Amino acid sequence: MKKIILIWMLMGYCASYGQQDTVFLREANLSDSYLLRYTDSREKIILSDSVIERNGSLLTDLLNFNSLIYFKENGAGMVSSPAFRGTTASQTAVIWNGININSQFNGQTDFNTINAMAFDNIVVRPGGGSISYGSSAIGGSIHLNNELKFKNGFENQLLLRYGSFATYVGNFKSTYSDERISLQLNLGRTGSDNDYPFPDSDQKNLNGKYYNNSLSAAAAYKVNAKNLLKIYGNLYDGKRHFSLISPNAIPTAYADYNTRSLVEWNGFYGKFTSTLKAAFLNERYRYYAHIEQPDYETGKTGSWIANYDLGWRNHHFMINGLLTFSHIEATGTNIRFAKRQTAAAGLVLKQSLGRKFLYEAGLRQEISDAYRSPLLFSFGLKWNAASIYHLRMNFSKNFKMPTFNDLYWPGSGNSDLQPETSLQAEIGNQLKFQNLTFEVAGYFNAVENLIQWIPVSADFFKPENVGKVHSYGLESYINYAKTLGKSHLEMQASYAYTVSKDKRTDKQLIYVPFHKITASAAWSRERISAYYRIYYNGKVYTDPQHHSTLKDFTVSDLGLEYALGKNKVYILGFQIRNLWNEAYQNVLNRPMPGRNYNVYINFKF
Amino acid sequence: MAGIAISALLLTACSSDDNAQIIPDDDAFSNGVLILNEGGFGMGNASVSFLSDEGVLTNNIYDLVNNSPLGDTGQSMYFDGDRAYIVVNGSGKIEVVDRYTFENVGTITDGLMNPRYMVIENGKGYVSNWGNPADPLDDYIAEINLNTLSVSASIPVVEGPEQMVVSNGKIYVAHMGGWGFGNSVSVVRASNNAVSEIQVGDIPESMYVYNDVLYVLCSGKAEWTGEETQGKLFGIDTLVDLVAFEMTFPTGQHPENMVREGNTMYYTIADQVFATNADMPGAPANPLFSMSGQGVFGAYGFAVNNGKIYVGDAGDYVSNGTLYIYDVAGNLLEQHIVGPLPNYFGFNN
Repeated sequence: MKKIILIWMLMGYCASYGQQDTVFLREANLSDSYLLRYTDSREKIILSDSVIERNGSLLTDLLNFNSLIYFKENGAGMVSSPAFRGTTASQTAVIWNGININSQFNGQTDFNTINAMAFDNIVVRPGGGSISYGSSAIGGSIHLNNELKFKNGFENQLLLRYGSFATYVGNFKSTYSDERISLQLNLGRTGSDNDYPFPDSDQKNLNGKYYNNSLSAAAAYKVNAKNLLKIYGNLYDGKRHFSLISPNAIPTAYADYNTRSLVEWNGFYGKFTSTLKAAFLNERYRYYAHIEQPDYETGKTGSWIANYDLGWRNHHFMINGLLTFSHIEATGTNIRFAKRQTAAAGLVLKQSLGRKFLYEAGLRQEISDAYRSPLLFSFGLKWNAASIYHLRMNFSKNFKMPTFNDLYWPGSGNSDLQPETSLQAEIGNQLKFQNLTFEVAGYFNAVENLIQWIPVSADFFKPENVGKVHSYGLESYINYAKTLGKSHLEMQASYAYTVSKDKRTDKQLIYVPFHKITASAAWSRERISAYYRIYYNGKVYTDPQHHSTLKDFTVSDLGLEYALGKNKVYILGFQIRNLWNEAYQNVLNRPMPGRNYNVYINFKF
Repeated sequence: MAGIAISALLLTACSSDDNAQIIPDDDAFSNGVLILNEGGFGMGNASVSFLSDEGVLTNNIYDLVNNSPLGDTGQSMYFDGDRAYIVVNGSGKIEVVDRYTFENVGTITDGLMNPRYMVIENGKGYVSNWGNPADPLDDYIAEINLNTLSVSASIPVVEGPEQMVVSNGKIYVAHMGGWGFGNSVSVVRASNNAVSEIQVGDIPESMYVYNDVLYVLCSGKAEWTGEETQGKLFGIDTLVDLVAFEMTFPTGQHPENMVREGNTMYYTIADQVFATNADMPGAPANPLFSMSGQGVFGAYGFAVNNGKIYVGDAGDYVSNGTLYIYDVAGNLLEQHIVGPLPNYFGFNN
């Protein structure tokens, strides 16, 4: 048992490419095992707890500064949807401990309904991943991981943050582990009056108040040397008043209540590994057309998912077979009752040829009672050409299934819809020196059968498989870390060039910038640390015919921290967000906050 | 003079500086058509375009003259004397402007909730309001004091009040039904705000009064509702408020956009434009012409003026729309790119 874990740890270490050198993921502690086993031919950006802690609690904020994804945010804290590598909002998969949690209604995740602080690390994985993660993993996937460690004893952490517009974050995390048991509990609450003044006018954000509560718990128990049981739970309960587009508009509100639970049994039998998972996901929304009145529109879904994975491995070969079954039910104001069952079988393998070369390959077929699914495949290779240089390539077919709204919306729902498919290829290069890592990747992605709601008449739209999008681009990352005496410096920057064209018009998709840049620098010396982070989004078009645009913008934050106590366990922090008071919008006519401030204390005991 | 003002507008429209302000000109918009572009709901990009009789188009005239955005979801306009009342549905307000200079002369906000259309009768304004769209019981007509530009009374009506016309001291309100489906016309007596109802067909979409007869075009429920009904045309004698005649369209046809010019009634069914007698209408088998050559599958805005037919095409319902102008034989005379979702026309001449 110990030996297996050790091997996995080493493999995990070799496979991961972190934003910080000190971060690496341990496979045995994660539920999302494919994230480490079968991603050698891919990029991965790992955001550690320390990066997450410095970003507040909204997942959008974290990823704006730390990924090359563009977010469409209807004002701070409001509905937020991603465009990853120039794809649509439902072509990014969000994976919670290995389970795809995108909404069954619209196929998307609202990135302001995820409390980032509830997770030990968050991994951004650009490019297709349907072989491992199913629907929506086209532009890329975001992995929310709870890490269950062993032999770490009892640890607690309390983080409290308060700042402008009465924005607060409170998060308490407690972990306990010995040789056989690992327990984790995470409680968080975030809220804001969110009544920020618009930097370039005399108006302010009205009716933008929000709060959310999140509870995360996980446990693992080593039954014996061969068997490990794990359980994970996550609850999110949030309510937002939706910001008004103009002062006398009708104030509306939206409440989300999502629960996720997962039970997992890992077996280690010589060269075989066996993983049985059962998960239940529940999502519920309530839309209040007027916040002062009790009536609401609602929808809820329940998803039962069962997964079995059997793996075999030796030193240079690894193969896993996967069977998965899901049963999903939805009801609500706009969907009377609908259910869907899908089953999928997949096979993935990886082989090292000598010490410098490896390839990985996968096949997956899904069957559904609602649509025909394509045969999915992936093939990737990695060549460690030199100690400082490696080359990787991959090629894959991915898909996004029609959502419950697409299929079953009263009157409009189109039961003839087929899944969107994506064929993509990618080449990546990495140069790694002692203090510096440089990575550049180019990709091409052809999406067919894109589902779009087409106007049939002024008051009636119907979803059809009509769109065809070709995207290509470049992504590059550079990381630098250096310790000089008592000072430590870390710098990172990334850049994306993205072209994503609707093939019918040959025009760039709306809300996809050609350029995005992120950069950060963190310096520390003894008890003092300082950090500066910045991101730039290029101009975007807000309508398909390119009549209307949003200008490019740059947002930056400055933070200072001072560690107190004998063991530096109290960290006092101060942040200035949007330091240069940039007036910007990432969705038309939805101004974002100007310069604002917060203080925080991060106490580990 | 008008020419100079328009050049100034064009120059400003082309410059990237949004803060440039137009000095209002007395007759900048005297001769031509004002086009209300609804914009996307929740996008705050409603606008007004002006097409002069000389064929010069200027977009965003409200923003340019007043140095302020019009707001969210421009639903309709109503002209009275020198004033134009622009009902901005998503912003819950009515912007009152001088229809010839487009200078703002006031804003009505308090007491409006989801405003849709406006008319004036007896020196008072009447605005149809959906209230909370999810609540079928809170819809009303707001009575407006035109001197103070404030709501002076609220008159409850059934769900989904839309277009209104006036005749014989009464306001006739078509109930398309809001988030539901309506099938009635409310009659509001301007003298005492008393309300009565007249049953018509499903989804009364457009109306006019001609020779004391109220014509009400009911589209019928579309196929996608799962309970399709036939389109109907009602004639109501406004002296006694009784149905004088009723005509049914063939199954599957859902007429819309009924307007009158002279003694001709115009309406559309999908991409086709029909014409018939305004006072003795029939349902002609053959259309006047089809808009399909322009890729228009249904007119989003529709008007007839001086023998020209104005069609607003919403295109993809996000991008800027197109104004097509036809003669009554269906020959395309002009086309212009206007703002998103052109839905309403008002004529200054």
